[in-house]
Amino acid sequence: MGRYLLRRTSFLLASLLLAASLLFVLLRLLPGDPANALVSVGATPEQLAAARRQIGSDLPLPEQFASWLGGLARLDLGTSFVSKLPVGSEIAARLAVTVPLTLLAFTLAVVVALPVGFLAAWRSDRWYGPLLNGVAQLGVAVPVFWIGILLVTVFALRLRVLPAGGFPREDWAEPGRALTSLLLPVVTIALVMSASLIRYVRSATVDVLGSDFLRTARAMGESFGGAMWRHGLRNASVPVISILGIELATTFLGAVVVESVFTLPGLGTLLIKGIAEHDYPVIQGVLVVSTLAVLLIGFAADVVQRLVDPRLRAHVGGGRP
Amino acid sequence: MKGRHTFAAGCVLVGLVLAVAVVSLVWLPYDPSDTTGGRLAPPGGEHLLGTDKLGRDLLTRLMVGARIALTVGAGSVLVGGVLGVAAGLLAGFATRWLDDALSAALDILIAFPTLLLAMLVVAVREASLGSAIVAIGLAMSGVVARLTRVLVKRVLAQDYITASRTSGTSWPRLVTEHVLPNIWPTLLVNLALQLGLAVLAEASLSYLGLGPPPPNASWGRLLQEAQATVLTAPLGAVAPGVLLVVLVVGVNLVADGLRDLADPTRRSSR
Amino acid sequence: MNSKLAGVVAALALVLAACGSGQEGPAGVGTATPDAAAVIEIGSQYEPQNLDNTAGGGQGVTEAFNGNVYEGLFRLTDAGKVENLLAKGYEVSDDGLTYTFELREGVTFHSGKALTPADVKHSIERVTADDSQSARKSSLEAIESVETPDDGTVVVELAHRSVSLVYNLTYVWIVNADAKDLATAEDGTGPYELGAWKRGSTLSLDRFPGYWGTPPANNGVVFHYFTDATALNNALLTNAVDIVTSQQSPDALAQFTGNPDYRVSEGHSTTKLLLAFNDRKAPFDEPLVRKAVSSAIDDAKLLESIWAGHGSLIGSMVPPTDPWYEDLTKVNPYDVELAKRQLAEAGYAKGFRFTLDTPNYDPHPTAATFIKSELAKVGITVDINVITADEWYSKVYKNHDFAATLQEHVNDRDVVWYGDPDFYWGYDDKQVSEWIKDAERARTPEEQTELLKKANRRIAENAAGDWLYLYPQIVVAASNLSGYPVNGLNSQFYAYGIKKS
Repeated sequence: MGRYLLRRTSFLLASLLLAASLLFVLLRLLPGDPANALVSVGATPEQLAAARRQIGSDLPLPEQFASWLGGLARLDLGTSFVSKLPVGSEIAARLAVTVPLTLLAFTLAVVVALPVGFLAAWRSDRWYGPLLNGVAQLGVAVPVFWIGILLVTVFALRLRVLPAGGFPREDWAEPGRALTSLLLPVVTIALVMSASLIRYVRSATVDVLGSDFLRTARAMGESFGGAMWRHGLRNASVPVISILGIELATTFLGAVVVESVFTLPGLGTLLIKGIAEHDYPVIQGVLVVSTLAVLLIGFAADVVQRLVDPRLRAHVGGGRP
Repeated sequence: MKGRHTFAAGCVLVGLVLAVAVVSLVWLPYDPSDTTGGRLAPPGGEHLLGTDKLGRDLLTRLMVGARIALTVGAGSVLVGGVLGVAAGLLAGFATRWLDDALSAALDILIAFPTLLLAMLVVAVREASLGSAIVAIGLAMSGVVARLTRVLVKRVLAQDYITASRTSGTSWPRLVTEHVLPNIWPTLLVNLALQLGLAVLAEASLSYLGLGPPPPNASWGRLLQEAQATVLTAPLGAVAPGVLLVVLVVGVNLVADGLRDLADPTRRSSR
Repeated sequence: MNSKLAGVVAALALVLAACGSGQEGPAGVGTATPDAAAVIEIGSQYEPQNLDNTAGGGQGVTEAFNGNVYEGLFRLTDAGKVENLLAKGYEVSDDGLTYTFELREGVTFHSGKALTPADVKHSIERVTADDSQSARKSSLEAIESVETPDDGTVVVELAHRSVSLVYNLTYVWIVNADAKDLATAEDGTGPYELGAWKRGSTLSLDRFPGYWGTPPANNGVVFHYFTDATALNNALLTNAVDIVTSQQSPDALAQFTGNPDYRVSEGHSTTKLLLAFNDRKAPFDEPLVRKAVSSAIDDAKLLESIWAGHGSLIGSMVPPTDPWYEDLTKVNPYDVELAKRQLAEAGYAKGFRFTLDTPNYDPHPTAATFIKSELAKVGITVDINVITADEWYSKVYKNHDFAATLQEHVNDRDVVWYGDPDFYWGYDDKQVSEWIKDAERARTPEEQTELLKKANRRIAENAAGDWLYLYPQIVVAASNLSGYPVNGLNSQFYAYGIKKS
């Protein structure tokens, strides 16, 4: 396990370094000049040159790259070209919205999907089995922002029971208000996420229910519940953990669109603004942080998987199966 | 049995959208940029589904939107499929070091999720139909490549393949005669699923203003525009969403049906 | 938050109640009494990029800070009048080259330091400095030196007469000369000080207890920033904000007009939508072609489609709030037959084809679509090229690499750009340049007005651009609000008079 962890961690770091370099190169291919975002109609060439000096976009690329990587190693993501604020602290402030949003939505989705998915498989012969399956089928086909628009229309504009968007400026100092403003976004993401989770849980359950070892265990006199608990859960949980990891990452990223629907000051809206303003440090910072988050989630999912299923430990090799 | 029904239902839904897109090539109720309809005309009368805030016919724009959705969907599956299968074959045949490097690269590509990657590509290029296709296709290629790699490894591990490899069968023959015929059913199912995801990704990009630029009537953009008038003209905010769901459900049903048809053991377990 | 603050607030409320009653007599919006402890929630689409208007802070920082956090020597009121603010008065020498400004006493910065002439000198020089990114830099080019002879006066020496100097000084923030890092913090003399700026979300202004003048009618304001009009209107509908500084789309207006809970007011805007030609290059170097294009586009219908009856047509670059406005909408009337004749006369009877560089944000793509279908009627084919704001600066603004483009021009008095042949549209007319130059050096405002009227008429006759329409300036507020600015000239938004009852 120790060697595995070491290997997996070095892979993580290498991935991050590669991703960071890739990002830098891609971003410098952007047409236009970030200095343009700073000046207004009426600016002279001298004013543009001054803007460029100020933000350092007049430095040679290798120099910019070196300083960025150096900063990254010191966990310093640089200073925004536009707002002149440190990118790191800005991202930290945005994470205070995005992380709770992601975790709440993910938890809600899992809480809904596990029993529903199990039920849809276990009771596929009853009327509600196929119905649940059909609803899930529909759910994975709905664009997440559309659900957001519909929920806002019904609950904020028609019924006036929940805010249409925004986040209280007191942040989490007023947890009640913060949670209220996250309610609709959380439900929006959870609806879509649970639909796809239900499908995975259902098919994992179908596999377990039809498996030989379950039948054997029952033939040996174990109760259905006992057999499921002892063998089924462990067998079904391995693919489900891997899927959960992927889904958690997807939730985190799907938040980009949902934040935009609900004008939440999260990582996604920061990224969109950064792209519009050609604010390289902000774009780089957000993408590095999200990539890191996704890689870490994958890492955690792998480790948990190995802990749950000892058979995987025997395998060698770096990549996931 | 079941697979066939699912497949047929999916085909009907996809066919519906496809038919609309084909019709839009030869006939449209109005010119897509014709603004003579008057602001937010109600459904019925001269404009079957009413007009948008600029007086453009909603039905016309929905029909053009079908074309865009299918173009981007099919285009990105083509880009993602070709790139992904090529990379996957390479990684599948590669041995230790190259294999490790390639699968690490794929893992990183996958860690960049579709939407962020697409946003980046759009930012690097310009917001256009082509950018959307390239962006979504690129993002998709990572997933396709990883699947292809696993499938190829599985085929190569078969005893008879090892036998024919030791007996000196050339790589190209191995690929065309043994590998591809064995992996294509699973690949096809996955590409069909990817098509649905690509359609959704395009809608999201357009909603964020990063898709094909206006006046392109992408469904995602229609939804974004109609959001402002959702209380006064709700149809504009509902119709494009319904069409999106119809198309994506259709595509997913086709994929499910294909899988059941291709894999009888799975069918029996359902 | 804490009891100390609450105490200050209560004390201020008393002071305010005492002087408030005498000051704003006729405001009478009904029987409800204003609530001086109320915080006004303001919704806007213009978040500052940073907090410094000489370092690319943008329209948003002007909206939030002008008059609220920072004050100039003079104030441009919402009605468009220039009033003394930090200057108590001024004198001009007979040759018009020396301005002596007398500073108000007892003014302190938010940091506690008293205002000195040195701060004024520093503030003016920040704007005129080489590395300043202020949009107002060029309007102060006449300034040769700023001197501080004693504790109460500032003397500005000019290289030549500048009739608009005092007007232009309304945009020069007086900042503490010792202040560091004005991009992320502030130190002004205004009635409010910066509370907190949560980027991407809100910016709050708290009452400054040491303010020299009349304290604000409210207990502070919070600007809530939205990236699209829909979300902003939803916030107003759900009472998350009290007022919207300027509506950017008419779509939601129907929900507010005729609703007794809201009041919709339409003031005067200075924002113009332009179809700007590259006047250097064929075919748009030919005035007749430009006139033909202008006449081929039905501006009234465009305005109706985009603004549903709000806004107005202008016919030239000058909005009605500038002193040199006159109605020039008849100079290039909407007349398709006339347009065809003019095209034929210019040698383009069969029309031509050009690329229209269109910024990717509303209303430009919509207007481009509309223009394309209008020009098709006279045989002109338009290729719409959608670009980002940033590309627009590189391609159009800097490199002049375009045939025609769409752009909104927000400032007042910006007809003067037609006097600069190096400006992006490259309108080169010696006569107009001379009039515009002389206008700034005029002895009297009347003389200035006369010259600028001539210039404006001339550019309209030559169709230097096609001035499609003037935006409406629509403020929607909850009906328990009063005392808010309705014009928001040059995107200013004075918040200190707003009362909530």
